[in-house]
Amino acid sequence: MLRVEKLSTFYGNIQALRDVTIRVRRGSITTIIGANGAGKTTLLRTISGLNKARHGLIIFEDQDITNTPPNKIVKMGISHAPQGRQVFGDMTVAENLELGRYSRRFANRAEYKQDIEMVYEVFPILAERSGQLAGTLSGGEQQMLAVGRALMSRPKLLLLDEPSMGLAPKVIQSIFKTLFRLHEQGLSILLVEQDAKIALETADYGYVMRTGKVALGGDAGELLENEEVKKIYLG
Amino acid sequence: MARRKGIVETHSYRTFLIVAAFIFILPIWARPIPGEALHMDIVNLMVLTGIYACAVLGLNLLLGYAGQISLGHAAFFGIGAYTTAILCTRFTWFPTWLGVILGASLAGAIGWLVGKPVLRLKGNYLAMATLGLGEIAFILFSQLKGLTGGTVGMLNIPPLSIFGLKFDTDIKFYYLVWAIVLVIMLLTINLVLSRVGRGLRALHSSEVAADAMGVNTGSYRVKVFVWSAVLAGLGGALFAHFQLYINPESFTFALSILFVTMVVVGGMGDIWGGLVGVVALTFLPSIIQVFPEWIPGIPESLTNFSNYALVLYGLLLIIFMIFLPKGLSYGMERGVAAGRRSAKLLLDRIRAHD
Ligand SMILES: Nc1ncnc2c1ncn2[C@@H]1O[C@H](COP(=O)(O)OP(=O)(O)OP(=O)(O)O)[C@@H](O)[C@H]1O
Ligand SMILES: [Mg+2]
Repeated sequence: MLRVEKLSTFYGNIQALRDVTIRVRRGSITTIIGANGAGKTTLLRTISGLNKARHGLIIFEDQDITNTPPNKIVKMGISHAPQGRQVFGDMTVAENLELGRYSRRFANRAEYKQDIEMVYEVFPILAERSGQLAGTLSGGEQQMLAVGRALMSRPKLLLLDEPSMGLAPKVIQSIFKTLFRLHEQGLSILLVEQDAKIALETADYGYVMRTGKVALGGDAGELLENEEVKKIYLG
Repeated sequence: MARRKGIVETHSYRTFLIVAAFIFILPIWARPIPGEALHMDIVNLMVLTGIYACAVLGLNLLLGYAGQISLGHAAFFGIGAYTTAILCTRFTWFPTWLGVILGASLAGAIGWLVGKPVLRLKGNYLAMATLGLGEIAFILFSQLKGLTGGTVGMLNIPPLSIFGLKFDTDIKFYYLVWAIVLVIMLLTINLVLSRVGRGLRALHSSEVAADAMGVNTGSYRVKVFVWSAVLAGLGGALFAHFQLYINPESFTFALSILFVTMVVVGGMGDIWGGLVGVVALTFLPSIIQVFPEWIPGIPESLTNFSNYALVLYGLLLIIFMIFLPKGLSYGMERGVAAGRRSAKLLLDRIRAHD
């Protein structure tokens, strides 16, 4: 469903991605793990059009989407929940969700109702808190909102950047359970994680990134057993 | 599209009606205040307020919604003023209303030229670019003697006339300017409540997330900046046709800072608050100038407001950023609410005593 071929992205003169090649199969959860600064966020941002690629290709459902503007990418079915949650703090939960479908300009009210019902079904807590300012939600609730907001544009592929960041293990468990349920319903997910254990346990495939390059790739189960991965990331 | 028929909407339109009614009746009872010290001509000051309000409403959007600051809005104000002044004094047949429109358009075009390249960069490069623009504009106004009359300025600017209707008295100009301000208010309220407005609010709240949702943040910032330049140009053009005389001293850095101070004092991103800020700071010099006359032995330099205006604006900016970052109107709302609460508490106490 998604093919990234020899992708290179730069910040000025600093090269953040070096010939990154990955694949996301339809219906899979694919995870990318790696240390701080490895380039995971940059990869997601380049896929969703927020950063420009200098070399390489991004192919989504047989279409070249390299350097397509973000609003078009969202419309094509790729949704991005950025690192650090980034909810709109001074807006209500419902307004946040509404912004999730911002790129679907002409969508009608009935569709909006459907979408928001779907998100409330996935995260019932958001329905309870729909009128509350997003900035006053707990960390876990904010993460659910960030994922819920990304679901509002009816994505085929969900890009998730470190959903576990700063959350208690119990909350992480619950969020990953939900992700797995979404996956069972047919959503493809590209998941960036620092928490390698839970990521590899949930995912089908995994890649390990190191200093802007893909160092390893394979079945998540195999990566879990890999000596190097064990030593460095599972400690 | 899911339109929010929420508090914002009804609240804004109701406030709009109240403000409109107030503006309509104000001149009827506002006679110039006589007396030795406090000689204020309220209608005249309110015209100036309306003129500044044009510029400040746009700047308020820029600061409050696009999170960008302009330190050179006096340039757009001046471009609007000089454009129509030059056209209407050179060619006496030139329709003044067209001069105003062209003045506002030219300001917008220059805003686009400056904003387009700068606003695509992240960070606050706009502040620097506009600071430079303000200085360049001021130098050009003073130096292009053949065109602008140099430091002497331009005299004999004709009063504004629209299809035979001449706006040559304070009261006529008052109604014209405030009608324009109210239309701008309506447009602004609609903008804020529209899809674009939601995008702007999102941009203000988290740029990273707004980007990711597909809000075209770069182009929105450019649009807001251009719109704010157009409005400042409009204000400047009206200013020229109201004063009937302009010179570069009216378009200095101090004016740019005054605009920013009005936004901050009123409340960034708060349309009605912005208006409060404009009123407060336009009336401030007239009120403040009274005091030095009452204090014996005060140095001559302190009797002239413009000598310490910048210091005062700076102080206001600091004080408001620290103590009332949401601005005066928000502060007043809170104050009224707190007053009500304590009054109720007091009443309850008294009742309990009985
Ligand atoms: N806006 C930027 N300007 C310059 N350099 C940047 C920028 N963003 C990221 N980088 C650099 O690019 C490299 C990759 O960063 P990136 O954020 O993609 O890493 P990451 O794997 O997501 O790290 P983390 O796990 O800490 O989120 C880092 O060296 C970082 O310093
Ligand atoms: Mg990251």
